[in-house]
Amino acid sequence: MSFSTFVTDKAGLQKLYEAIISKHETYAPVEKFGKYDYKKVSSLKECDPDSPIAMTMSVKPLFFPRSSKIMKYESNSAGTSVSETEDDHLAVPRVILGVKHCDARGLQVLEAVNKWDYIDSDFQKRRANTVIFSTRCDKADTHCFCTSLDYDVENLDATDVALVNGIGGKLYIQARTEKGENFLKENLEKQSAVGSQQSAMDDIKKQYEAFAASFRLKMDYKDVNEKMSKRFNSPAFEEASRNCVSCNTCAFICPTCHCFKISDVKIKDTGVRYKSYDSCNNVYFTLEAGGHNPRPAKYRRWRQRSMHKFVFYKERFGVNLCVGCGHCAISCPVNISIFDVVNHVASTPVVL
Amino acid sequence: MDYSNQIRDIAAKLFAEGKIDVFVGYRMSGFDDNQVPVVITDPKETSVLVFTEKSVFNLTNYLKADHTRNKRVGLVVKGCDSRSLNLLLTESQVKRDKLYIIGVACEGVVDDKGNKMQNCMECFIPDAVVYDEMLGKLQGKKDYIVNADITELATKGLVERREYFEEIFENCIRCNACRHSCPLCYCAKCCIDQETSTLYNGTNTSSSAFHALMTWSLHLAGRCVDCRNCEKACPSHLPLHLLHKQNEKVIYENFQNHLAGVEEGDRGAFYKYSLKDPDDFIM
Repeated sequence: MSFSTFVTDKAGLQKLYEAIISKHETYAPVEKFGKYDYKKVSSLKECDPDSPIAMTMSVKPLFFPRSSKIMKYESNSAGTSVSETEDDHLAVPRVILGVKHCDARGLQVLEAVNKWDYIDSDFQKRRANTVIFSTRCDKADTHCFCTSLDYDVENLDATDVALVNGIGGKLYIQARTEKGENFLKENLEKQSAVGSQQSAMDDIKKQYEAFAASFRLKMDYKDVNEKMSKRFNSPAFEEASRNCVSCNTCAFICPTCHCFKISDVKIKDTGVRYKSYDSCNNVYFTLEAGGHNPRPAKYRRWRQRSMHKFVFYKERFGVNLCVGCGHCAISCPVNISIFDVVNHVASTPVVL
Repeated sequence: MDYSNQIRDIAAKLFAEGKIDVFVGYRMSGFDDNQVPVVITDPKETSVLVFTEKSVFNLTNYLKADHTRNKRVGLVVKGCDSRSLNLLLTESQVKRDKLYIIGVACEGVVDDKGNKMQNCMECFIPDAVVYDEMLGKLQGKKDYIVNADITELATKGLVERREYFEEIFENCIRCNACRHSCPLCYCAKCCIDQETSTLYNGTNTSSSAFHALMTWSLHLAGRCVDCRNCEKACPSHLPLHLLHKQNEKVIYENFQNHLAGVEEGDRGAFYKYSLKDPDDFIM
């Protein structure tokens, strides 16, 4: 099935954004201390859908919150009873503006693990009720490498509606899924479809090529996958992780990391069980009740992190668990990039 | 301020003489003109070492890492870094005879955008206070000053101040990067890492973030040296220095002008309890 592409200009886009915000529950990047995070907005003035990628948090918390209630319980002398938590405020119909392509791809990658073994119905419900409206970057940031990974950045279907900048202030709005197509039909006031107009498609393609040429980081992911799978015992992990301070920021802001911990908050007889983010770079992550820790050294935790992203997840689900957004390197206090680590490991000799 | 050549020579000499096993310094990031810390174990790698006004990160944080524990370490310290090192020495976290310290008379470092860091403008001890070898021209002690954002904080009432901090902590994602990047947070398990505690349960609720950051800041009160490693690590760019600077100011004014780590053997304000200490202030 092919989807429509519409053409508009800056004023038309502002109007569309305003119409969306007035009609739907809308989330968009809001600036605070120079960093943008996705929050509920009531006017276009509060937010900036064109926020720079390096300064924007991932959209993941809107689908997999940093902390979410999974159940409530009450225990007293009569026994213990367990109950559902109140309605999920993230599972209502909503629109997210200004999502970056790599972020949207992160959700697509996460769907695989959320549908496997245990089915995370909360995640599915939240995604099903959400229309993702993405903006495409014009230029790669220092740590970006999305075009080097196993997805088609130009025709990504992880986003429902995609916005592409054209030449001369033209803006193309593309539906990428059926949900997006219906959404545009409902919300776009003046519909000027370009259909299969060749000039528009050429324009979009040209813009994409300019974007793809602006990347500093490039790699062959298939080569890295294969080489990494043979280098579990490589001393290169130790070298690459030496200046890591184990602060866990990388995992908390990663659009695909999905490890969590369970904690109870109990006051008197009633309690709530929370599911909150955790990180495999955390020294306590694998600490067992008996006191044994199978991953006590930093390099072992780094090995787990990079192998999970480029080997284990790929073997199990057929996609890399890294989307090349570069957020880890940007937020890292000592600028360690997963790109550098995996390429360094892949370039070393095999150790059996 | 460029001591790259001197530091390379010293590091190479130390390795050649067999005085150290590990050297902790800075190298160029490789993708822009910023610098990242580097932990060197191979004498051949000393040529990557640099030191300019871009050498921001406080390297004493690495003294609690696997690579340096129980080893002889050479490292570079600026004024603020040396104060945290002084505290680590007093608190028996590192042994002085295992360290070879290259002190720098720091002229102030700059952030990613090239602007002088705010803590450097307020800096009162630019020269390293503990060292084996000193680089640069000594600048001597300066007057203790605090920036306008702290004096403004003092004009706020208690409720107003609480609301102000609550608003800041709303953006905390509880990754605990601040605690892990702090050179003085060496507890094997920090109270804010606890998952079973009701106050700091590891959840990202606003009350948990509030309690965790407040407790963390009070544990560092009278010890924090304002190196801003925590702010550099914070992915939400929270102005964490407000907490520490406020504590520092209260302690300076109330505990006989105490400033953390300035003198050797200094035990920190909270260890020096006296019945004469004032108690009419609570932040």
